[in-house]
Amino acid sequence: MTRKAAIVGGNRIPFARSNKKYARASNQDMLTATIDGLVARYGLAGEQLGEVVAGAVLKHARDFNLTRESVLGSQLSPSTPAYDVQQACGTGLEAAVLVANKIALGQIESGIAGGTDTTSDAPLAVNDDLRHVLIALNNAKTLPDRLKLLGKIRPGQLVPDQPRNVEPRTGLSMGEHAAQTAKVWEVSRESQDELAVASHHNLAAAYDRGFFDDLVTPFLGLTRDDNLRPDSTVEKLATLKPVFGEGEGATMTAANSTPLTDGASAVLLASDEWAAEHQLPVLAHLVDAQTAAVDYVHGGEGLLMAPAYAMPVMLARNGLTLQDFDLYEIHEAFASTVLSTMKAWEDPAFCKEKLGLDAPLGSIDRSKLNVNGSSLAAGHPFAATGGRIVASLAKALHELGPGKRGLISICAAGGQGVVAILES
Amino acid sequence: MGTPVVLSSAPAMGPLFAKAALTARGRGGALPDTHLARVAVAVDPARVADYAEVCRFRFGDTLPPTFPHVLTFPLQVALMADRSFPLALPGLVHVRNRVDVVRPVGVSEKLDLEVWASDLRPHRSGATVDLVASVRSRGDEVWRGRSTYLARGASAPEGEPTDLDVTIGDVAQAAVWRVPDDAGRRYAKVSGDVNPIHLSGLTAKAFGFERAIAHGMWVKARALAALSGRLPSSFSVDVAFKKPLFLPSTATLSTAARDGGWDLAVRNQKSGQDHVLGRIRPL
Repeated sequence: MTRKAAIVGGNRIPFARSNKKYARASNQDMLTATIDGLVARYGLAGEQLGEVVAGAVLKHARDFNLTRESVLGSQLSPSTPAYDVQQACGTGLEAAVLVANKIALGQIESGIAGGTDTTSDAPLAVNDDLRHVLIALNNAKTLPDRLKLLGKIRPGQLVPDQPRNVEPRTGLSMGEHAAQTAKVWEVSRESQDELAVASHHNLAAAYDRGFFDDLVTPFLGLTRDDNLRPDSTVEKLATLKPVFGEGEGATMTAANSTPLTDGASAVLLASDEWAAEHQLPVLAHLVDAQTAAVDYVHGGEGLLMAPAYAMPVMLARNGLTLQDFDLYEIHEAFASTVLSTMKAWEDPAFCKEKLGLDAPLGSIDRSKLNVNGSSLAAGHPFAATGGRIVASLAKALHELGPGKRGLISICAAGGQGVVAILES
Repeated sequence: MGTPVVLSSAPAMGPLFAKAALTARGRGGALPDTHLARVAVAVDPARVADYAEVCRFRFGDTLPPTFPHVLTFPLQVALMADRSFPLALPGLVHVRNRVDVVRPVGVSEKLDLEVWASDLRPHRSGATVDLVASVRSRGDEVWRGRSTYLARGASAPEGEPTDLDVTIGDVAQAAVWRVPDDAGRRYAKVSGDVNPIHLSGLTAKAFGFERAIAHGMWVKARALAALSGRLPSSFSVDVAFKKPLFLPSTATLSTAARDGGWDLAVRNQKSGQDHVLGRIRPL
């Protein structure tokens, strides 16, 4: 048995810039509040769902069972199973795919997919040297042994290890990687700033027309994403100094890169039958999804280019071209990432040599891209972005009417990417 | 009742406890009909976050159900520290507490607080008094609290004694709490209740306790936090504080769903002695 999983709706809290409004909220606080918002919106109090799947990219050791703990603290029935998933910035979309697949196979009838991340309440790890001493200390049997070990502790070891937005194998930040790719694809500063401004204007317009009224629940005094700058202009953005890349060719600024953000999102998926029984709407179906990974360490491919590889595989499987979609959601980790990806799909050499295609995938109608804003404006709490995009796109397709197709593309740390097709 | 005396800020608790100790002797007479109030009090989210962390509530848009108690508590203490209050504050024991959450209260709501004393009653070993708190938001009462204190050796006018017991049915163990010796200091920091009996062994000894004891309201809050997500939106939680929970110690929480709410008990793991017995019921 296979069937397409329905997207019933979603909920998220407004995204907050790091160390601002959500400075004191933990991942569990935000995920629980977000699930409870979804529960309130769809009347799910006490309901036993098939599964809740969510994750966080930056996670405390104590949050090993983050999603289950959040379910236990929520209004859902405590007999709702849950598990954590982590695929860097692909976490939220991957969670939705996992829930949708179980629904498609008939293993569950309903589920929530979500994600949360905080860069404010980030885990600090004990310095490795100190950790080794402390473990040995715990295992030491005699007092002299313990004293000897205690004597080994040096002041420098008391400095905790800070989580950093850096690829462990290259030592480069994600921004520095993206800057390399931007250079390869000759993505101009102007085109990046234009994309950033469009993101802010589109998100602001969507808020203004009430698009997010049933997608966002206010939290801790925020009613909108506090990174949103509705009055953003290309002229203003042009004055900013580059923060990633070096010298003349540096194009990436704080405005055309996403800031560190806190937030959480959740999406309710179900079989059509379950939705009907519960008298809930079906906004769209999750049709298919594909992941890909690239060798950004030794293989010469850009860190965030994996979605470019995932896309043709998924399109071919579904007999679709890149142009067969009414809306596109390409996650704006950096404006240059979106633009590099689109340039790659347009490039005959790349499509032939790297993707093994006879013809390039071609271009995307920019008026259909990120029409309700994306991560440059909303912010990007890593694991929460997938849920934001799935719920917003499902609603936007539903507004266009039945039979409309939407495409999602999300890049992730570690050289990975997740793409998916929704259809209303 | 007289017109409420409106205070512009929360009174400082340290000086109040000192004043109450210095003026403890020679108290007596009837309860004053003073009402102390604060209006349009804004809650500091950082304080709620601290409180939630110590009591293990989730931090979010809704105040933990016991949080308004820490907002009204300074007014209670101010009332009791005043010379017009017939019982001496040092030595008063919190023996019962009832909280009514009329509806969930938002972190960003401006709250009007009012506190007064009532029901000075005889008890076989002294007298009891209730400190009543009412919290309003835009005119509607959203939260009520009633704290019953016992003053050993004190006297009260003739009358029916206040019932200090909360009876519960069978409960089953749900959790074990390892309560560290700094639990009192940590709760004192977030609640402002700096009563020395909670802070350290030394300061507790000065008041006749062998060791520091946990705040009853912390025990109550932590039990409620354990039931997060499983509580009605409008409920009363009525608890009796039995034997003190000495710090550090290991306690158990036992619960049973009953009548749309819960019965609960917090007990010493070793001796099985009751620390807190409580009933949660929908309002």
